[in-house]
Amino acid sequence: MNRSMAIAQAPGSTRERHYVAGPPRVGEAVIKVALVSCAGFVVATTIAMLAFIAETGVRGIIEVGIGQLLTGTRWKPEAGSFGGLALILGTFSTAAGAVVLGAAPAVLAAVWLTEFAADSLRRGYRRVMEIASAVPSVVYGWLALVYLLPIMEGVGHALYGADAPVTGEGIAAGAVLLAIMIAPTVLLLSLDALSRVPRPLREASAALGASPWQTAFNVSVPYGWRGVLVAVFFGFARAAGETMAVQMVIGGARKLPQNLFRPTTTISAQIVMDMQNARPGTLENNVLFSMALVLLVFSVGVVLVTRALARQNAR
Amino acid sequence: MRETVLKRCLGAGTILLACVYAAGLLFLVARGAAKMASFTLYASPLAGVDNEQTMRFVVAGGLFAGGAWLGVSLLRVSGVHFRWWTRGADRTANLVVVGAGLGGALFARDHLPRFLVSLPTETTAGGGVGPELFNTIYFAVLSTAITLPIGVGAAVYLARFARSPKFVGAVRLALDTLSSLPSIVYGLFGFLVFVVQMKMGFSLFAGAVVLALLNLPLVVGIAEESLHSVPREIEEASLALGATPVQTALRVTVPYAWPGILSALVLSIGRVFAESAPLIMTAGTTVSRATAYSLDPFRGGETLAVHLWYVNSAGLAPDRADVSAGTAAVLVALVALTNFIASRFAQFGGAEGTRMKKVTR
Repeated sequence: MNRSMAIAQAPGSTRERHYVAGPPRVGEAVIKVALVSCAGFVVATTIAMLAFIAETGVRGIIEVGIGQLLTGTRWKPEAGSFGGLALILGTFSTAAGAVVLGAAPAVLAAVWLTEFAADSLRRGYRRVMEIASAVPSVVYGWLALVYLLPIMEGVGHALYGADAPVTGEGIAAGAVLLAIMIAPTVLLLSLDALSRVPRPLREASAALGASPWQTAFNVSVPYGWRGVLVAVFFGFARAAGETMAVQMVIGGARKLPQNLFRPTTTISAQIVMDMQNARPGTLENNVLFSMALVLLVFSVGVVLVTRALARQNAR
Repeated sequence: MRETVLKRCLGAGTILLACVYAAGLLFLVARGAAKMASFTLYASPLAGVDNEQTMRFVVAGGLFAGGAWLGVSLLRVSGVHFRWWTRGADRTANLVVVGAGLGGALFARDHLPRFLVSLPTETTAGGGVGPELFNTIYFAVLSTAITLPIGVGAAVYLARFARSPKFVGAVRLALDTLSSLPSIVYGLFGFLVFVVQMKMGFSLFAGAVVLALLNLPLVVGIAEESLHSVPREIEEASLALGATPVQTALRVTVPYAWPGILSALVLSIGRVFAESAPLIMTAGTTVSRATAYSLDPFRGGETLAVHLWYVNSAGLAPDRADVSAGTAAVLVALVALTNFIASRFAQFGGAEGTRMKKVTR
């Protein structure tokens, strides 16, 4: 995730400097055109990406119908039924579980680190978390496959009886795995957000007699909650878009699960699994792009919300 | 007091969280180290693949140079702290690193752990990740070659030459959108454009372009931040001496901000190592004997991350667990190394950096 996004500047702010030169020269103009085209390339590829995915996805939506795609319960491309409810519910329930299980401890840890911890401890902690957040997601997925699934199976048997047909895969395993994956990122982003609370504010609160705990939860957190919320949204969006690790622990069963410990599927996992068999140009292929379009619309929505929040935060 | 108790609990929980992650990473490397660290006493035979000798040379050189550099860096940290580190020690350290690299490359290249230089196997035990390691590093080079000019160019434009607020707003919106798209959307885009419409089949080139797009927001964001941190006085001095704004930007601003930009590039390389979903759809999941170590960017090939996923979901080899452990350990080692290098570059920034010392000597 792009950590710099949380401190994006509004266009035309005073941080940008414009130096005006003398008479125009050819070399100057050429290089300026090259720089503009680099920036334009970014815009062009973003538009191209959205356009390509939307074009193929819309074809799928037109053929199958948006209602069936979003609320149908049977996903069987070979039989012609494309009900994506199981996929959508799988994606969002694992992401929501990941936020509850992983983002909450991460935010609390960030609060403790900025308010109550020494600088050197904070720096060392940040170093560890930077490595943890850079570890590939397939590594987390493989670790979960080997060590988490047996634990989840035990929990499932404990909850539903020793002879219940639970295999350890499912939404619970996916949520725990995603929580472990997004916690470092959410922690780092929250650290950035909370460290931007101005020192004079905290010192004024202490001068008025507040204890560090009171300062933390009555002054710092209310000041920086927007940045923390941006961090949590990032975590949610990343958890919803995560593909390979979730595919390893979610079970790959294309139906709604009976409980949290039965296999199911998510949008991105299903796209990867079905893409191996779907030929380009066929309806199956187009519908996969339609589901990707659902994910894309969701993540663009998260972007717009976080931009609005960050703009308010950077006042 | 209740607050003290709560504070202690919160602190204990936080420390526990970090310990869990650190312990997990160390356990991962330890579990896979057995596969990686088994240097052989006898010279392991070549498999008859093109460029295999070169690959062994480079891997041995890199391994020994990297290990020497890590050891030397730790010595340097303690030396700077306890003030016994001299310029002579610095030069000796660099010589030691280069010497270790060359020595390892010349003498140990046939005794490398088999895991790092042999081809993967589908159904038998004893497969390695040699081609995957090569493809991973090749991807890093290819995608950085694309990200560097475009990312730094866009950052220089945004920081110094931005004119119309609407265009700048569009660029920022595009960067924010790119940075939050799920990686599988990049994979689908690459699949549509390169594999289907351009009929190139699976290729490293498509994967590199997709990874470059993935990394653009990160590189542009951090590069722009470094460019903003360049002091105004230096640029105004350059302009006062008669330089044009473009000359100032390219010869004063960018060199001053170069350590920050370099740390952004190294972070983007770390991200390249970690991605697998976009690469499955653009570069494929197979490695062929004929093109295992070839430099042709238009052939397909899988990377370490893709191999880890493939072995665990579709692999049939009986030693899957060991191969996975080794692959994961190599990946974590690579990622930790790139993070370490990035942090070393980041602390060279600004007026205390060696670059400025070279300029003002």
